[in-house]
Amino acid sequence: MFKRAFCGLLVFWFAAQLVQAREPYESTYQVRPHPNTLVVNVSVLTGTGEQLDSVDVLVREGRIAAIGRDLADDRAMRIDGSGKWLTPGVIDLHSHLGAYPSPGIASTRDGNEATNPNTANVWVEHSVWPQDPQFGLALAGGVTTLQILPGSANLFGGRGVTLKNVPSRTVGGMKYPGAPQGLKMACGENPKRVYGGQSKAPATRMGNVAGYRAAWAKAVAYRDKQKAFAAGESDKAPDRDLMLDTLAGVLEGEILVHNHCYRADEMATMIEVAKEFDYKITAFHHAVESYKIADLLAEAGICSAMWADRWGFKLEAFDGIPQNIALVDQAQACAIVHSDSAQGIQRLNQGAAKALAAARRVGMQVSDAHAMTWITQNAANALGIGAETGSVEVGKAADLVVWDRNPLSVYARAEKVFIDGYLYYDRLDPTRQPLRDFDLDQTVAGDAR
Amino acid sequence: MNSSIALVLLAAFGSAFANVAVVGGRVYTMESPEPIEGATVLIANGKVQAVGVGLEVPFDYRQIDARGKVVTPGLIESYSQFGLTEIGGEATTVDSLVAEYPLGPAFDVSFGINAESTLFAVNRMDGVTRAVVAPQPGVDPLAGFGAAVHLGEGEIVTATRIGLFGGIGASTAAFTGGSRSALWQRLVTAFAEAGRFSPSRYRPGERDYSRHDMQALKDFLRADVPLVLSINRARDIRAAIELADSYDLTLVIVGGKEAWKVRDRLADADVTVVVNVLNNLPSNFESLGARLDNAALLNDAGVNVLFTGGGTHNARNLRQQAGNAVAHGMPWFDALAAMTRDAAKTWGMEDLGVLRVGSAADLVVWNGDPLEVTTWAEHVLINGEPVPMRSRQTRLYERYKDLKAPYGYN
Repeated sequence: MFKRAFCGLLVFWFAAQLVQAREPYESTYQVRPHPNTLVVNVSVLTGTGEQLDSVDVLVREGRIAAIGRDLADDRAMRIDGSGKWLTPGVIDLHSHLGAYPSPGIASTRDGNEATNPNTANVWVEHSVWPQDPQFGLALAGGVTTLQILPGSANLFGGRGVTLKNVPSRTVGGMKYPGAPQGLKMACGENPKRVYGGQSKAPATRMGNVAGYRAAWAKAVAYRDKQKAFAAGESDKAPDRDLMLDTLAGVLEGEILVHNHCYRADEMATMIEVAKEFDYKITAFHHAVESYKIADLLAEAGICSAMWADRWGFKLEAFDGIPQNIALVDQAQACAIVHSDSAQGIQRLNQGAAKALAAARRVGMQVSDAHAMTWITQNAANALGIGAETGSVEVGKAADLVVWDRNPLSVYARAEKVFIDGYLYYDRLDPTRQPLRDFDLDQTVAGDAR
Repeated sequence: MNSSIALVLLAAFGSAFANVAVVGGRVYTMESPEPIEGATVLIANGKVQAVGVGLEVPFDYRQIDARGKVVTPGLIESYSQFGLTEIGGEATTVDSLVAEYPLGPAFDVSFGINAESTLFAVNRMDGVTRAVVAPQPGVDPLAGFGAAVHLGEGEIVTATRIGLFGGIGASTAAFTGGSRSALWQRLVTAFAEAGRFSPSRYRPGERDYSRHDMQALKDFLRADVPLVLSINRARDIRAAIELADSYDLTLVIVGGKEAWKVRDRLADADVTVVVNVLNNLPSNFESLGARLDNAALLNDAGVNVLFTGGGTHNARNLRQQAGNAVAHGMPWFDALAAMTRDAAKTWGMEDLGVLRVGSAADLVVWNGDPLEVTTWAEHVLINGEPVPMRSRQTRLYERYKDLKAPYGYN
């Protein structure tokens, strides 16, 4: 009898180990089993600024195993790369897929919790609908990783999430394991228009800044109280506050700040606010005027996530110029091309190409390989996953795209898209093109009625 | 006469009457899919004088070296709000729609087109030389009459009342209590009454069209300009074809995300579709059928396809739209024609969109394939006048290209 009880306890103990391993909200993403892959005789844009011609790339167990000539692997799925180009998977730093899905109707508009200028307590991953057909369209454009952010109605929009662009029944199954969360902040016209229009604060830019500062001051006090309790210096922990948890996470360097901001002078002000409360701004988004302060951004080590040529839809976007990305890059500040659009995400490679053309038009020497960094490694770095993915280098995740021609051409189409070595999209094989539930019998991809 | 006086006279009159020779380029006259290699285009008094290989260039013609370059007619944007918008989100700068004022079909945008808008210079530098300026549905789904402009200097409006514009969809159906069916009823009834409209006998009810609107509709039914409707859903496109057919109207569909579903009917009825290629999202229940190869499918079926840049501020992205259409199956020459010859023909722009003797000298010299995003325009001529390759955007670039320059005076 004791033997039986002991065996039962042992089994129970093992089971408990498996069950308790996962934290709430932790990623449940699993790498799908796949064969090794060998792409032969392909041109590579590495994502780190290099171009390699006529090389072979070997993928084993979800990682880039080798890059060289005359590689061999008998068990590998062989892809003839002659005339084709291989790049890292495209990474979009700014997206609302799932939170502003297609169809965009009242019941699916979940990107802005516009009920309070500070909603640092909400997490956009709880708004992401994994059945948004836009994910599939982005995959066909070569996007393997994307950051979903809350909108910009609020000073503090909430926590963002980094997703792998994979079909999944749950958002947890898409979450990039180990990727830090982001905090969306917004400066400028949007918050003051949304709340000022209701005669609430903020109604002005100065109201915006007072709003940030008040929140950070509370966050510092909350964090200090938590630390005091943890160190035994106080006998009461502060009451749990979801909003302050997020801000404290930023102060501790665990959550990365992604700050929507257009105007140069406002970006400079946000740098001061960050200095006052000792937190880091990882990236300014939209950053239409970054070219005016590229030196300050380089010095502060802040990335700019920008469009190639969008301008004029608001006064704060009136001074947009096509050389924005090139000038930021030239000043050695981190330059990224983002989309903030379900249309644009499908062709970030063309966005990079337009920025490249604008640079060359004014005489700057920028290589194709360098332009690719704006949509791959630089974006990976800004997501805190730069050591994992974002480039075609041995040891990194096999997030790869095979293009039918140089991806900086308007005619380029992604032929094969791999995530962690698994072939998620094959343009030439309709059975290898994932469909969301909403696609079925509705959209063209899902064989519309 | 001594040579210095001749030179002074030449300088004085030269800029007003400067003739131009564009020499040695790969020229797409648009008269055939085959370009003329190494051709010269002679331009005099704002018109094309001759196109050919080995033409003698008169000594006093300003020469543009186009060797190794591609030469096309200027690009035509088929759906914009040029001159009617400066900052999209700032209502005080937007004149393309009428809100809360009883003006529907009678609205005519030409009274408000502002030639000094910064958008002209920005877009003409990228080869956009002409545009259709359209009203947008405001108070009524029939938005009013559009105009045609060129993006050069001087008087830019080249034609008014070039079409009656409107939109049929969920947003405009709000005007008839949210039903598209009711919206069609309103339109069909209005057209029927317009035919027999008499100002002295008309007694409009509160929600009926005003006298001005009815007169505008009556005049429209007698004019020979198209009905231009922004419609996405296949069912509504079919209804538009029937309406146009009953009144023998030329029909242009703008958007037409589901137009491919009725492409044979569109081809039979000689309907034109202005496609926004990049807008391939199933963004609502009237565009579930959106697809990237919409333009290719329509073109294959014989439908007249035109393009729009998808937003006036970046009308210059017309070329990127065309390039994407080609990437998804449309033949390259047809895509170029959609921005030149076919657009000019659809909008009644005589002697435009082609480079042949007598046509207006709207011409672009490109440093490569004009549909490629890594190509740009090196020279742009409108009515034979070279466009200054500067805009507010280049001015800002000049100020900020060197952050070490003494600030404020640069």
